[in-house]
Amino acid sequence: MTSLEDLLKSDEFKLLSFLITSARGCVDEPQLYGPLRLVDAAARLITIWEKEGKAPPEILKLRDLIEEKEYSVMYSEEEFIQFLDELSKELAKLIKEKA
Amino acid sequence: MDLMEIIKGRRATRRYEDKEIPKEDIKKILEAGIWAPSGSNLQSWEFVVVLDKELIEKIKMISPGLFGNPAMLVVGCINVERAKKGGKIGYPMAMMDVSMAFQNMMLMAYSLGIGSCPVLSFNKIALKELLEIPEHVDPILIVTFGYPKFWPKPPRRRPIKEVMHLDKFGRPFEE
Repeated sequence: MTSLEDLLKSDEFKLLSFLITSARGCVDEPQLYGPLRLVDAAARLITIWEKEGKAPPEILKLRDLIEEKEYSVMYSEEEFIQFLDELSKELAKLIKEKA
Repeated sequence: MDLMEIIKGRRATRRYEDKEIPKEDIKKILEAGIWAPSGSNLQSWEFVVVLDKELIEKIKMISPGLFGNPAMLVVGCINVERAKKGGKIGYPMAMMDVSMAFQNMMLMAYSLGIGSCPVLSFNKIALKELLEIPEHVDPILIVTFGYPKFWPKPPRRRPIKEVMHLDKFGRPFEE
């Protein structure tokens, strides 16, 4: 079994910590920060897979798309929602073709 | 650099190079901060400067809005006991004071080629625990600093004639 110390240093724990503190933050933050935190968590999960050598290029492309467009939430609600649609479509393509 | 150029050039930067900020530049940034105006000259602010990389990583873990790998964090806080001297408006006044101090710091940073980003999305309880911030001190804003991987493009600004009102509200200030 992994020791607590090792677990606390792991990327998975960082993700866990991000999820918990995001949950608290979302209570007070703008509504669109909820979806922002979710896609950001998705990008973090892909990065964990990448470090473990588990992320094929198609999945890394999803992460790249998130990192390229997630900050649009700060400038344009419309652009951010379009990005979420685009991301959903890319995900669906993967599921349709590969899953 | 011309002041207007600095004001217009500053952007929120969220991707940083892995490069330390020289001590003398850090001092300039911090000094610019404490020369900001403060209501009733109370200076009810406290700033925790974080340079330790491991500690920055820990703060990132409890700050969903903190992106990238900044070289420095400055945690802006209100000393609630000092702010009480400002009466009922002491606390909101201190918030404005901390904000103005940070604006000075961010502008100074930009003039030195250093990027910055204000971060409000952090877990206050966890941050107080991590930095051993006492009960009477409230962390309200983190600003990240570092050398940006790129300078983001400027977002659209609401024009002067829309937000500036001449002599009475609703009469646009024509440029």
